[in-house]
Amino acid sequence: MKQLAYSALLLAALLAGCSGNPSKEAAIEDRGIKAAEAEQMEGVKIVEAARVETQGAARAIPVSEAANKPGAGVNTSGTATQPISSKTTESVQTRGATAASSEVKSLADGKSAADAKSGGVVGGDKSTAAQDASTLPQPDAVPAWGDLKNPENPLSKRRLLFDYDSAAIRDEYRPVLEAHVQFMKANKAAKSILQGHADERGSREYNLALGQRRAESVFNAMSLLGVPEAQMEAVSMGEEKPVAEGHDEEAWQQNRRTEILYQGE
Amino acid sequence: MTIEIVGGAANQIPVAILPFSVPVAPGMPLGLRNPAEVVAGDLGRSGYFRVLDVSDVAVPPAEPQDVQLQDWKNRGADAVVIGQIRPQSGDRVEVRFWLFDAVRQTRLAALSYTTSSAGLRAVAHRIADAVHQALLGEPGAYGGRIAYILKRGGRYELQVADADSQNAVTITASPEPLISPAWSPDGQRLAYVSFEDKKPVVYVQNLADGSRRAVARFRGSNSAPAWSPDGRRLAVTLSKDETSQIYLLDLLTGEAARFTRGGALDTEAVFSPDGQWLYFTSDRGGSPQIYRASLSTGAATRVTFEGGYNVSPALSPDGRTLAFVHRRDGRFHIAAMDLNSRQMQVLTETAYDESPSFASNGRLLLYATLVNNRGILATVSVDGKVKQRLSQSGDLREPAWGP
Repeated sequence: MKQLAYSALLLAALLAGCSGNPSKEAAIEDRGIKAAEAEQMEGVKIVEAARVETQGAARAIPVSEAANKPGAGVNTSGTATQPISSKTTESVQTRGATAASSEVKSLADGKSAADAKSGGVVGGDKSTAAQDASTLPQPDAVPAWGDLKNPENPLSKRRLLFDYDSAAIRDEYRPVLEAHVQFMKANKAAKSILQGHADERGSREYNLALGQRRAESVFNAMSLLGVPEAQMEAVSMGEEKPVAEGHDEEAWQQNRRTEILYQGE
Repeated sequence: MTIEIVGGAANQIPVAILPFSVPVAPGMPLGLRNPAEVVAGDLGRSGYFRVLDVSDVAVPPAEPQDVQLQDWKNRGADAVVIGQIRPQSGDRVEVRFWLFDAVRQTRLAALSYTTSSAGLRAVAHRIADAVHQALLGEPGAYGGRIAYILKRGGRYELQVADADSQNAVTITASPEPLISPAWSPDGQRLAYVSFEDKKPVVYVQNLADGSRRAVARFRGSNSAPAWSPDGRRLAVTLSKDETSQIYLLDLLTGEAARFTRGGALDTEAVFSPDGQWLYFTSDRGGSPQIYRASLSTGAATRVTFEGGYNVSPALSPDGRTLAFVHRRDGRFHIAAMDLNSRQMQVLTETAYDESPSFASNGRLLLYATLVNNRGILATVSVDGKVKQRLSQSGDLREPAWGP
């Protein structure tokens, strides 16, 4: 309990704007190996590898060189699919749009539930944070993989939304974050992919960096709460994977998010 | 792909492009498309020329002495193009063309090319370049190639096509997103970002044989490739050490040396053509702006100041003009800045413009935009006067103009 309260204090400090910036070490290098480990886990489902086809496009031969070359135009002889790419696609998996859309609803539920538990008090002060922490599963109820899909469990909440051009974690997500921290601590084999996203406006590359920052914000929060950095990876999908297809603020808000995913899920 | 002209120069030069003379001769390859059609298409779409109707010409002139310049002057032509194709050995042909000033009745250009029949289109584009150069005093951009991403049916294709959007070839197809194609300076390779590993990874693909490799697959995200002028290094954005920062990746050794530092977000680097500077987007000043850093010292200065969002820098081949995406009143436009005077001009009216890139002549910009919620490609001249749109079924995006 004492440890939980301390964790909550740390998180409260983080939410209050103290941006911790721990250096990342112990890089997760070989995703192929991690995938092999993941396969031994319970309930593991490896998604089918993305099929990527490549081929060459020989340039229409410049006139000056043409004399030495028999043909010009398209060369389709080089249909090369690199083994390395199809292998590594198996190692990280996302749930795709289908799972994602059902999460929109449960997230809204999660928000109201969180508000109710904290007695309607929304703030980052110590006592509120500690109170929230007390509602977490007790140590004897070790969070398990099955809880990730149990809508009654805060672990089923996977999506954190962000304000425009912001990577600050909103207060309402404290219970969700803490639940995942407890899960990661209880399941050392669990490896989390924190996947950041941005809305569609503006440059794709800049949005990729914005999504990365949102993923890192969650990474840093979980790291401060004691999750080993080697157990997490922060990546970004930029604006490429919207969950809401509209072109208005309602859709954009849904798309500015970090998803907490688990490898091998 | 369909090309639509949505604006033109104030004074378009009227030009008559006569069918090239193709004699029925032994050894002449069959089924050749008349290069004049391609030349007329190029010049007509450029917005700088008005191509006269020449469909009544029954027997095209083969030699300079056969063309009646006075007649063409009377029909309103300022310039006249004639040409001929001569069979060579095997599949090879010689293409000759002449360009005349119909008003002064003088010859402006005369050139000959030898090619295979498959290379005839490329020759026609070069003739259009030569006509453009002779009449406007600056190079054309008809002979280059473009790369772009086509999204259709949940599938992403990296395609390479001629600058007139013909001969499109899909070089990579994936069910996961592809973004940010970048041409190597020699036009032999493309770097791009693929999400096939469920995270962004930078690949380099050889166009001749389709072989490719992941050149940046570090922990975190890997993106925004840009080639150094010597083709040996890539500037990339990596998040392996801190938040998105710019690194210089040696393509031979695979080593990534960190270039920018600090907690701000740095991305979208491009090299200046002289290899002295790196231009990039950073939010170190509180809003995303374009900065320029010396590659030797790393010292950076801010380049854009107008407005709260200036991103996606692109440099003209002479290094004098910077193009970028500029947000104004919640709309994203292509803007160009003269780097000497620091004068900025907004070139477009569309609201969701992205990814500007310069043609090799430095006079045209290719970019992506949305029209009726569909992704299309568009070009605009650096003075903002001449515009074209390229569209096809599916979403077009992330264009890059190559050599």
